[in-house]
Amino acid sequence: METVIKEKIKQIKKGNQAAFEDVVSFYQNKVYQICFRMIGNAHEAEDLAQEAFIRAYTNIDRFDERRKFSTWLYRIATNLTIDRIRKKKPDYFLDAEVKGTEGLSMYSQIAADQALPEEEVESLELQTYIHKEILALPPKYRSVIVLRFLDELSLQEIAEVLEIPVGTVKTRIHRGRETLRKRLRHV
Amino acid sequence: MNCKEEAIALMHKYLDDHLTQTEEKKLRMHLQACQECQTHFHELKRTISLVKSSSPVSAPQGFTSNVMANLPKQKKRNHYTK
Repeated sequence: METVIKEKIKQIKKGNQAAFEDVVSFYQNKVYQICFRMIGNAHEAEDLAQEAFIRAYTNIDRFDERRKFSTWLYRIATNLTIDRIRKKKPDYFLDAEVKGTEGLSMYSQIAADQALPEEEVESLELQTYIHKEILALPPKYRSVIVLRFLDELSLQEIAEVLEIPVGTVKTRIHRGRETLRKRLRHV
Repeated sequence: MNCKEEAIALMHKYLDDHLTQTEEKKLRMHLQACQECQTHFHELKRTISLVKSSSPVSAPQGFTSNVMANLPKQKKRNHYTK
C-alpha cells in the first residue's frame, strides 16, 4: 500500500488533485479516529480531520517522499488536535468530555457486526467509560496512548509523529498506562 | 527485588516488548513470589486489552467527498497538449 500511496503523492505534486481522493479515502478512518479519541466529540473530530487533510494537500510540496506519508499526516492531525485542546476553555472542555459520548452510538452500531476480541466490551456503557477515561488523561499522555493502542504505532513511529525522543514516548506510555490501570481496574 | 521501582519498570518494559531474556526471567521469578505484583501486572495487561478492544471509529459518511469539495482550487493544471 505504501508504494501505491507514494505513486499517488507524486501525481498530487504534479498537480493531479483527483489523486488525493484515494489518499483521503485510504487514511480517513485512521485520521478521524486519532482526532476523535483525542478531542472526544464527533463533530469536532470531523472538523479537525478534514482540516488535517486539507493542510496535507496544501503543503504536499513540503512532504519528503523518502519518509513515511502516514507519519507526516498523523503529525498534522495530532498537532491540530493538540492546538484545539489547548485553546479550549476549561469549562467548555469539561462540557465537551460529557458530550464526547455522542459519537459512540453511531460507531457502536457499525462495530456490532464485527466480532469483538473481548466479550466484556460488548456493552456500550463500558465502551463509553473507556472512551471517557482516555479523554480524562492529560493530552500528552492521551496522544501516546491513542497512537500506541488504538493505532498500534511503534514507539519509534510515535516519536516521529509527536517529534519527541523515544525515551519520552516510553515514559508517557508508562504513566498513561498506570493512570488507566487505576481507573479501569474495577471495571 | 524492589516492587515499586524495579518490578513495575520491568512490567512496562515487558509490555513495550523491550525486555531482555535475563530481565524476563527476573520478572517471572518475582511474579511467582509476589502476589501484589502479580495483581498489578494482570491489571496492566487487562487495561491494554480494554483500551484496544474499545470499538474502532469510522469517519462519517461522505467524509472524503467533503474534503475534496473543500480543497483549494488546483494551482497547476495538467495540459494534455501534444
